[in-house]
Amino acid sequence: MIATQIAFFVLAVASTASAIGVIAFKNAVYSALSLILTLLFLAMFYLQLGAMFIAIVQILIYAGAIMVLFLFVVTMLAPEAGGTEEQDRMPWQRIVGSVLGLTLVGALSYLIFTGTIASGTKADPANSLSAMVAKQGDIQAFGLALFHGFLFPFEVTSLLIVVAILGALIFGRRA
Amino acid sequence: MPLSAYLIMSAILFTIGSIGVLARRNPLIIFMSIELMLNAVNLAFVAFSSFLDSADGQMFVFIVLTVAAAEVVVGLAIIVSIFRTRRNIDVDEMNVLRG
Amino acid sequence: MTNLSFGVLILPLLGFMILGVLGRFMSRGAILAVAWGACGLAFVFAALSFLSMIGTPVSGRVSDPTIYTWVVSGNLQISFGQLFDPLSATMLMIVTGVGLLIHIYSAGYMEDDPGFWRFFAYMNFFIFAMVLLVTADNFLFLLVGWALVGLASFLLIGFWYQRRAAVAAAQKAFVINVIGDFGLMLAIFLIFINFGSLNYQDVFGKLSPSALGGPTATAITLLLFLACTAKSAQLPLYMWLPDAMEGPTPVSALIHAATMVTAGVYLVARANPLFELAPVALNIVAGIGGATALFAATIALFQLDIKRVLAYSTISQLGYMFMAEGVHNYTGGIFHLTTHAYFKALLFLGAGAVIHAMGGEQDMRKMGGLRQRMPITFWTFLIAALAISGIFPLSGFWSKDDILGSVLAQANATQNPWFYVLWGVGLLTAALTAFYMFRLFFGIFTGSYRGNVVTAHNEEEEEDEEDGRGEASPRPGHHAGRVGYYDIYEAPAVMTVPLVILAVLSVIGGFVGSLALFGRPQWQPLANFLASVLAVKAPTISFALGWLSTGLSLALALGGIGVAWLLYRGGFEYKESRNPLYQLVFHKYYIDEILTAGLVNPLQALGRFASRFIEGDLLDGGSRGLAFLFRLSSTGLRRLQTGYMRNYALIILLGVVLIVIYYAVRG
Repeated sequence: MIATQIAFFVLAVASTASAIGVIAFKNAVYSALSLILTLLFLAMFYLQLGAMFIAIVQILIYAGAIMVLFLFVVTMLAPEAGGTEEQDRMPWQRIVGSVLGLTLVGALSYLIFTGTIASGTKADPANSLSAMVAKQGDIQAFGLALFHGFLFPFEVTSLLIVVAILGALIFGRRA
Repeated sequence: MPLSAYLIMSAILFTIGSIGVLARRNPLIIFMSIELMLNAVNLAFVAFSSFLDSADGQMFVFIVLTVAAAEVVVGLAIIVSIFRTRRNIDVDEMNVLRG
Repeated sequence: MTNLSFGVLILPLLGFMILGVLGRFMSRGAILAVAWGACGLAFVFAALSFLSMIGTPVSGRVSDPTIYTWVVSGNLQISFGQLFDPLSATMLMIVTGVGLLIHIYSAGYMEDDPGFWRFFAYMNFFIFAMVLLVTADNFLFLLVGWALVGLASFLLIGFWYQRRAAVAAAQKAFVINVIGDFGLMLAIFLIFINFGSLNYQDVFGKLSPSALGGPTATAITLLLFLACTAKSAQLPLYMWLPDAMEGPTPVSALIHAATMVTAGVYLVARANPLFELAPVALNIVAGIGGATALFAATIALFQLDIKRVLAYSTISQLGYMFMAEGVHNYTGGIFHLTTHAYFKALLFLGAGAVIHAMGGEQDMRKMGGLRQRMPITFWTFLIAALAISGIFPLSGFWSKDDILGSVLAQANATQNPWFYVLWGVGLLTAALTAFYMFRLFFGIFTGSYRGNVVTAHNEEEEEDEEDGRGEASPRPGHHAGRVGYYDIYEAPAVMTVPLVILAVLSVIGGFVGSLALFGRPQWQPLANFLASVLAVKAPTISFALGWLSTGLSLALALGGIGVAWLLYRGGFEYKESRNPLYQLVFHKYYIDEILTAGLVNPLQALGRFASRFIEGDLLDGGSRGLAFLFRLSSTGLRRLQTGYMRNYALIILLGVVLIVIYYAVRG
């Protein structure tokens, strides 16, 4: 298992660094690229956890489609947006935010380390994911879970997408 | 790796995202920080799915992914339209609703 | 026995309602038909019931039908009924009889008044209220009648409501009466607590010295007497009666002489079983009665307004009635009530005839020599003056003598020196009464007419009125004393016939009273009649003492008349005296001024203070302050809405952190 642990730590450091890069770069394009990197590292995390489909979907959709969209807008607005970071009216905001962030992470860590998982939440072995995967393979297991248990939310998300398209159309019209 | 490691990772990423929301003035970067936060949550979900041996976590991630996509679409459209009217996207300049 | 007292109650009420609603549109004849009809029929019913009562044996002379059950609530059961027994029968005869005569008289007196219909509506209402008061069979409806007569008095005193003086007098009367009502209410509460019922027959049936302790009985009776002092104008609540003379003269005659003010005497007589259990209260009743009699008589000696002389005379005579009741002689009090009703109503109506003929003038200095012009008034007034002075064989002699005799009897029986003093006070007051009455009589009717003499005082008054500087508008018909002597005529028949009837009653009315003086105790028709209700063992005196009292009072009365004749037979010459004692009595001992300064002004100052500080600064300021606080806080809280999205996000994150910390701490 030592390889797993090393891999985890490397991924952890890398994703943290790129996440910090997202928020730290002055240039928006650099931020976007850092975000893509972070997403890729997260996909590797998913792979390590055995969520194959999700990992691929992450790369395809998130890093591939969503971030491209972001980059479109960033590059469209970038020349004008670049000059906005001159005068910060509320410099204290950064400090307060950092302090709050540190508090948050500290409290969450405390909770994570001292908390216990309730007993009944582990799924019974017959229906468990690993069993399904072993029987029918990853994608099929994922598909079965989606379309048997989560069909309704799946349909609703299609509605959500329609709404989003409409919203984009409306906002996109000229005046 | 134990579950708590992944959860700590998720917490760290979430915090970095929230600091980004507070500390930056460019709405695009703020948006990206929000995406970061969503992804941290996704990580937590997948970790739980793995450790509790249940598919529900991955289902949630699937939904979150879809929602994030829709949200990005609409949000960017809003930003673009703001830019069209004001020629400026510094969030500190958007203070018309001050009391 | 036929008991028509319900009809006696309802008829005037119907008259009031008809006149109140339709009177504005009715012709004079129609108004009089309704008013006279209501009062007259009521009198007929009262007389029929009275006669039938005389025909029934003594044991059957009580009739108490319940007319309407009003409240049934647990222990409290109040029903309205009318008690018809000898006492209420007597009172009914007086009220409706004298009331009818005054109704007839008012048709002449008020003929020029635009509020003719209103007057008769109020008069009928008063008769209704007074009948309610004397026939109610429980204390609660007594209180209702008590308050209603107070209301009628208020309405009638302030009848000429455009006059500020009249309105002020009406207010004063009502406010002082309310003090009495308060006493009556407290007494009712105490009675209810102790007896569980307010019905006369229930309460008086359960009375015995053991059933009701001394202090409780004293408390109840003193509270009842407080109500009597207010209603019957005794010390210390008499101040309203002289001011009540602002009302029309028939009102003064009916309400403030014959009937309403006697309600207090009636109450003491009705509640005599209670008073018999509280000797302390009875002594107080007698004492206040005597003190008031003397006090009012002294003030009447120097008054110049003829109605005010009569008002103080009324207060004084009411004092006599209470004196009688205070020495266990309730019959004597009621007897004097009846005779006083006759001659006092006659005096007021005669004065009213004079005022009417003089066009509204009431000042004695402007009268004189009216004997030739108004003969009927002259003779009837003389009879009334002799009656009130207690001259044999008129009615006043018998009743006043009865009272003085019983005071002396009580003094003799208890050997308490204060009763002898009281008897002396009674005698002295008799002398003073005779004196001021004949001062008034001579001042109006003898000598030469002073009406068109312009004195310095007159000129000032006229200047005020011509310039319009005077506050009070003149009384209707006031001609500033310029009525010529030959413009004065005798009153019309509608006014003189009641005068004559009352004069006849003043002469013969006393014969139903005690002829015990002549050694025939069974010749006391009135006392025997009332004995079933007022069954009290009053002390008696020997023959000799009785004759002594009678002789002394007669001699003193004649002496008073003699002094008045000597001083005033040639007419009344007003001489203003600088004697400080004279000034004190002339200004009615400055009681009104003292009360205004000591009671009224501080209360008004308190009111102004409360209005300005408590209401203005405290309450209004408080609500303004509250508004200011809100504005302040909202101005402060506004600063939270900075408009910067980042600040909002910060607060959200802060909330999240707090929640997480909470869970962390909770463990």
